[in-house]
Amino acid sequence: MSVKVEASAGGVPHNTVMIIGALIALVSLYIGIAGNYLLGIDWFAVFGGIAVIGALVWGNSTIKKLCSYGIGTGVPSAGMLAFGAGTAAFIAASAIFCGFAFGIWLVPILTLVLALILGLIFGWIANSVENMKIPVMTRSIAELSAVGAIALAGFALLATGGVDLLSISSAGFIGLDVGSSFLGAGIIAVGFMLGALALQHPFNACLGPGEKQDRTNMLALECGFLSMIVMAVISFVFVSPIAGWISLIVAVLGWIITYAKYVKLSKRDAAAWLDATPFEDKEE
Amino acid sequence: MQEIIIGIGVTALAGALAAVAGAAEDTESNIGSQGDPNSQVQLAPQMGYTHRIYNKAVSGEPPAYTLWVTLACGVAWAFLMMGMNAILAIVLASALATFVQGVYATTAYLGRTASLSKFGQPVFIDVLKSVTSVTMGHAFVAIIATVVICYLIATIIGHPFSLPLLGIVWGLALGAAGSATGNPYYGKERQYQNQKFGAGVPISASGNIVRYAEAGQRSSIDNGFFTSKFGGPASGLCFGLIVFLELWRTILFEDALGGWGAIIAGAVIIVIFLIIDRCVESWARKNYGPYTEA
Amino acid sequence: MSAIAAKPAADAGAFRPVASIIAIILAIVLVVIAYFLGNFNLLPGGGVFAIKTLGLIILGAALIAFGVHFVPVGGAPAAMGQAPGIATGVAMLATGAGLAGLFGGAWAAEFGLAVSLVGGAIGGGLMMAITCLMVNMSYVFGMGIPPASGKVEKDPLTGYTQPEFKSQGTEGHGLPFISYVGGVIGGLLGGLGGTLIYYELLEFYNAALPGAGFIFDFVPLSVGIAGIVAVGMFLVIAVLSAYNITGTIEGPHDPKFKRFPRAIVAAILASAACGLVAMLVVMIL
Repeated sequence: MSVKVEASAGGVPHNTVMIIGALIALVSLYIGIAGNYLLGIDWFAVFGGIAVIGALVWGNSTIKKLCSYGIGTGVPSAGMLAFGAGTAAFIAASAIFCGFAFGIWLVPILTLVLALILGLIFGWIANSVENMKIPVMTRSIAELSAVGAIALAGFALLATGGVDLLSISSAGFIGLDVGSSFLGAGIIAVGFMLGALALQHPFNACLGPGEKQDRTNMLALECGFLSMIVMAVISFVFVSPIAGWISLIVAVLGWIITYAKYVKLSKRDAAAWLDATPFEDKEE
Repeated sequence: MQEIIIGIGVTALAGALAAVAGAAEDTESNIGSQGDPNSQVQLAPQMGYTHRIYNKAVSGEPPAYTLWVTLACGVAWAFLMMGMNAILAIVLASALATFVQGVYATTAYLGRTASLSKFGQPVFIDVLKSVTSVTMGHAFVAIIATVVICYLIATIIGHPFSLPLLGIVWGLALGAAGSATGNPYYGKERQYQNQKFGAGVPISASGNIVRYAEAGQRSSIDNGFFTSKFGGPASGLCFGLIVFLELWRTILFEDALGGWGAIIAGAVIIVIFLIIDRCVESWARKNYGPYTEA
Repeated sequence: MSAIAAKPAADAGAFRPVASIIAIILAIVLVVIAYFLGNFNLLPGGGVFAIKTLGLIILGAALIAFGVHFVPVGGAPAAMGQAPGIATGVAMLATGAGLAGLFGGAWAAEFGLAVSLVGGAIGGGLMMAITCLMVNMSYVFGMGIPPASGKVEKDPLTGYTQPEFKSQGTEGHGLPFISYVGGVIGGLLGGLGGTLIYYELLEFYNAALPGAGFIFDFVPLSVGIAGIVAVGMFLVIAVLSAYNITGTIEGPHDPKFKRFPRAIVAAILASAACGLVAMLVVMIL
């Protein structure tokens, strides 16, 4: 694109956003796991959606930092790279300790670690082997991979109520038919694309000299809740109806609130807010 | 034999649906102004040209359409699992995907325009209202046609991939075909209608897009009127041929020569297209001739 | 393409020997790790099977990275007829062709490796052949613009001279024959590589899932995992290759094409890491 990429200066520093986002994501995942495996109810699936939103806020801040350098190809490619790496990391993490009773508790951490390792390798490749010479490249790609993997774990929790291989490869109330599971039926592909677009959209959509951090972050929340609506609809196949309704209602309410706030923030930042009024040319 | 006849029927239906999907996809992306030509819509206010064109910077068309189609496939699958009728499931899932598309479109228009406030580009609420609904309508047609293709491939033809995985494959192919064929026609021919016909847009003219219509100021819907006459059908032909030939060669020739029949058929088709392209290029050079300036 | 007078590559195109050697060594270390995991029966099928799977995944990734460099992509300037190539993103276009190939390859998987691979390649090539033809149709019949390259004087395949067919103030437009052929080759290689990755993962999961306790019909699960991991890996390799050519390329005659060794090195390490993690899905502890 011939448009110069500019990111807003100031605002909340990236490290703070990263820590807040990562904490929200991981704590939500653990709340969901605790609800399902200690209390035995899947109502906590909704926390998977919260984990997705936390991860997206973090990733959005990272993308802003990375893409302000101009990476040669569009902003969306970074989202694709993140989820490409995240897929393998999340599926492996969900499976490795699946044979142990404590295994489920390791999944979120293992997802994070595996994705960070993959991301570090990819970032180093891009920066050193391919000679891109972008100072934040290695760290950013590592962060984005972690975001992708955690968001997929969040989608899995939201859709199935669990994050281990057993949950994502069995088909809820239908039984052990693996063809109708989160992995077997390819619902993970829906999570992949929902996350990849939601990850790149906030910064891509607010790109420009007047970009403001609070507006971009509000859009990240909005994208998260919108993705959550879709996954909550799908989750009715896997979880109990009560859990599905909780997720859906939280997602719809969250989306309405964040969308309204985003429109308000856009109105605040826009040069003018006109309805059925022609523009006036400056020079003519 | 019966299997092959059903397969040919599915192939024909899928090819026709793909043509519809491609045409609707390109028209949708031109009305909303998505993909590479949108860089000029973004650039124009910075060069001092305020305009009323939509700015649907969701991402390139391929990732965007991958999402709409994949999520419609996923939701349709979920509805099918809940015991819903297949047609109803696909329609409702496509409607949900269209809703997501509309939300993404509005947030992109608001976000990009608000970030251009420095250059005095206002947000036009009437543009937002009228154009978003029109792009959603076209998007619905494109999405539902592609989801039906995926459903036919998954259920009747029996491809091993699940519905959402097929959604990724064909959604991406739809976006790639539509953006490759349709983008230049919208970007060069429509946005720069004031430039010379039969030549590329000089780099010095960047940003000076046409902002006035036959009467009044041009809105993005006017772009749909224009590109649906060539860019849309061409994109439809492109995606339709891809889906049709890919299925046709496999269904007719898969069992010939232990699987190699479909491969030979595909290779022959590629060579035919190679020859057609060569003829098109030679024809253009002969009939248009070199530019006198060079 | 050495016969064509090309501008000397800028520093951005330079090969980095030290980093590349480190990358190759790291990739070898990862393959050795796979071997030992297989040998100690942590991965099913033994060490040789693990090496064969990971090695062919790496080969597939290298083919994809090489193929991406053939695909003529002009990005935003191409949409205004200011630069030759297809007016979309290189990563997504190459992935579109590769996945169309994967669709054909997965369909033909029942006929064995060779048919599946060649079928995947033809699927990808067919998709690119149609798309590139429609791009040229759109330029020639829709806009009255003949194809012209901006990077070379003469098309190395047809011998057509290019500069006089370049309209004023642009770097060329459309797809000259060499770019068209490049697009088809890119689609062939992408489809081949993508199918190879998918096929190897599918074989591996099919061999491993019974040991992980899946005694029911597990094939949909292995197809599902292999499919999404192959798509994800394809995107990773395609995006890394797109970074390597910084967004736009005209095809095999473009000076940027000479950067492909870096992308292949990158793909080798990236796919070794990603492939090993994907194999850990069925690790037996």
